[in-house]
Amino acid sequence: MTTRTLAALLLLAAFIAAPLAAPLTVKAQTVPDLTGNWEQDVIAIGQWLQSNGISTVHYTVQAAGDPNSVMRMYGIVEAAYRINQVWQQNGINVQIQVDTNWESSFQKQYDNFVTQYELGQNGDFFVNSYIYIATLAADGRLLDITQWVQAYWNNVFSDFYTPLMEAAKYQGKYYGIPQDTEARPLYIRKDVAQCMGWDLTGLDEKVKNGQFTWADVFQKAKEAVEKGCADYGLIHRKGSAHPDLIQFIFAFGGSLYDPNTGKLVVDREAVYKWLATEAAFADAGLLPRNIMDWDWATQIHPTIVGEKKSAGGTGNTLFDIGGTWYWTEWQTKDYYLDPQTGQKRPLTPEEVKNKFYYTLFPAGEQGKQPVTLSQPFMWMIAANAGKDNPNFDNPDFKKAYQELAFLMVVEASDPIINAVHSVISAHVPVRKAASALLKNETFINQLRNLQLPFSKEVMDAIAPIIQKTADPINIEFLANVSYMLEYTHLAPSHPYYSKLADVFKQAVDRVLKGQMTPEQAIQFIESSVNADPDLSGNVEFTGSVPTGWSLLPTTQTTTTGTETGTSPTTTTTTTAEGGNTALIIGVIVIIIIIIAAYMAVRGKGQA
Amino acid sequence: MKLGHKLSNAIFFLLPAIILIAAFYILPLIVTTWISFTPLRDWKISQLTEFVELENYKALYKFVTTHPLGSLVLKTTIVFVVFTLIVNVLGGLLLAIATYVIEERVSLGFRLLWLIPRMTPLAVFGLIWYYFFYGSPQGTLNAFLLKLGLIDQPTFWGTDPNLLPWSAWSIIIFVNGLVGVSYGMIIFYSAFKSLPPELLIAAKVDGASTWQIVRHILVPMARWHLVFVTVWQLLSLVTSYTHLFVLVDWRIVDEWYGTTWALFVFTEAFGTVKNQGLAAAAAVILVIIGSLLGLLTLRIMRFDKITLEPKGDI
Repeated sequence: MTTRTLAALLLLAAFIAAPLAAPLTVKAQTVPDLTGNWEQDVIAIGQWLQSNGISTVHYTVQAAGDPNSVMRMYGIVEAAYRINQVWQQNGINVQIQVDTNWESSFQKQYDNFVTQYELGQNGDFFVNSYIYIATLAADGRLLDITQWVQAYWNNVFSDFYTPLMEAAKYQGKYYGIPQDTEARPLYIRKDVAQCMGWDLTGLDEKVKNGQFTWADVFQKAKEAVEKGCADYGLIHRKGSAHPDLIQFIFAFGGSLYDPNTGKLVVDREAVYKWLATEAAFADAGLLPRNIMDWDWATQIHPTIVGEKKSAGGTGNTLFDIGGTWYWTEWQTKDYYLDPQTGQKRPLTPEEVKNKFYYTLFPAGEQGKQPVTLSQPFMWMIAANAGKDNPNFDNPDFKKAYQELAFLMVVEASDPIINAVHSVISAHVPVRKAASALLKNETFINQLRNLQLPFSKEVMDAIAPIIQKTADPINIEFLANVSYMLEYTHLAPSHPYYSKLADVFKQAVDRVLKGQMTPEQAIQFIESSVNADPDLSGNVEFTGSVPTGWSLLPTTQTTTTGTETGTSPTTTTTTTAEGGNTALIIGVIVIIIIIIAAYMAVRGKGQA
Repeated sequence: MKLGHKLSNAIFFLLPAIILIAAFYILPLIVTTWISFTPLRDWKISQLTEFVELENYKALYKFVTTHPLGSLVLKTTIVFVVFTLIVNVLGGLLLAIATYVIEERVSLGFRLLWLIPRMTPLAVFGLIWYYFFYGSPQGTLNAFLLKLGLIDQPTFWGTDPNLLPWSAWSIIIFVNGLVGVSYGMIIFYSAFKSLPPELLIAAKVDGASTWQIVRHILVPMARWHLVFVTVWQLLSLVTSYTHLFVLVDWRIVDEWYGTTWALFVFTEAFGTVKNQGLAAAAAVILVIIGSLLGLLTLRIMRFDKITLEPKGDI
């Protein structure tokens, strides 16, 4: 009887002690720090998680981009798979599960991330443009990974291109790891050039040396339209000035950021010349006035790849300001309206190669340099990464989940993953080892034969894209454009840059539509910036609007200049008058309504 | 005791309404006013306890007075509210008269037809007008006019600079008018239906024409309804933004001439800028203007007189 009681008491004690013992083990065994040896770190974290009763770790990756850039999402999935493999081989019974969330617009995905963050519904991994690093880091929404990057510097990150690693910093600390980058070539239609009798041989060198400038682009575009070879001279992006059109500012020798004051810069001269160039193209009918309203899938891309309207096509252009990823996008999306069949279809790699010549973004004018602009995408880890797992509030668990998240990003930066992403999405690799793989025939053959060391889930998802895009022509293209990174510029990673870019967008749109002259647009930019509480303290104006400048230094230019000057002014005045008349009419009508209603009710009351 | 009993009875019956009003009107109003004094942006909740005094209101004043778009937002709001109001009230009246004078069987179908825009989900309704006004040759309006040979080039109706600003304003007034007009129609129609038939019969016997009946009987008898619909529509138009958002976001109308004060509040809080402090300040101004307009119209309606207890019953 006594023994029984003792046993029961012991059992009871064990029950009470068991839950208490768990937190004790956490304290006894601290979370291992990262050493820079990936496999060793993965095993150490796995063992720690297992010994603390964790069997599943759950993460969500939130990524964005064109349909061929899905490795931004699957890179993390693949990393999780590989870590699971390592754990399995080492007898660690822990699994990582990754949920994915994809959005085609990277701005939209940023909006999602920001609004979801406060509710704790954001992704643990956020794969997006580096331009958001400043804002997100300043708001404390990104994990500071500086210490871990330093631990892995020699083994991994010293291999990354330096400017890209610099773009991942905010106030000297790392908040991201470069995932991909790109260049923005000027595409030239070979068939249109041939039609107008223009030999493109050696043009890329001329552009590189600054001999072929935007004045020449204008002349050629005009010639193409006048000779009836193209419907348009130039096509560019819609909806936003960043990033493609911002290149004009650099091409005219301007800048956007003053490192001494830490302020954004509006360089009046460069911005004016950019806007005047756009105006010249629009006034000459070479660039659609409403290009900023065009639709990507039904207008912009079909016109870049299409045939002349008179030949039964969707319209065509001589020049296009595009990006390297266009090259494969044209091969996977139904942009090309085949006049023979009347059906829309993707182009073949051969067709793309035969249709398009590419150069750097030419210098704005003589004496200036050609440019390109990169907008590296980054793997970012949310400051609350790991939040969906047990005991996240315990600092030890939090550290373990976040270290594991970092290890996943390290693995997602694996040269093979990076090289595959580059090929299928036509982006440029972020690290030298991946660039080297693009020139490695064994790798290329493995890629084309789908013999990659990837999990089935990832392989199934990307195999159709690989089959469409992993063509020697595409890989050659990537190798050929990689020199452009030497000329690359980055837009400033400043919390208010996107707001300034939005003001630029408004200005370009109005200039193109002829509602403002470039001079008025500069005025508009200044008053918009000064009236904005955020921008006024963060933007400085430099230089002045050049007098008498025009894109073309010939007699012809004067005509263009005058055109730019007169017609838009008229429109603006009309618009303003229309607005004032409306205001007056509106006020009068309101008064009449109030009086009428009053009299009506009074009448009723008296009756 | 009797008073206490009366009070507890009143509280018992009013409580559900009080709770609803407190939770869904008073509380959001307090929160909005609170936010308007904080630097809240990008939904960074921790900023809710930082105060910036009148900074947001000052910034708003600066926007209206110095920003190139500030005065445009005001103009667009006034034009939109005034003209849509006219369409909604007069259009509703005309429709009600039309459906009242025609045969009931036909009238029912006719009224249902006009209710479709109100019943259609916003996205579907927006999409219809997106395709209708779209600037390519495939846009419905363009395709139609091209077929008729009235135009030779497709036009971006709401964004073409040569047609602005009235083109954009016309589109937003038209689309919102279509949704709003059925409200007036229903109210006026039921007002007409509740009129004593003797009046109309007497008028007809005396040889009054339809126009005379409308002019001297229907409209005067529906005077209160007219004022009510005007007030109601005025207040909802001042704060309405959903249809405008779709039209502007899909670039069917120019964003400068399609943005009213209410839409400005929305885009400032949820658009690329995400400055919720400033947006809240703008929303507070909107609430104040709405309340003033409401009070003004109640005064015009002589609300105090209607709510007097009828003397004969005592």
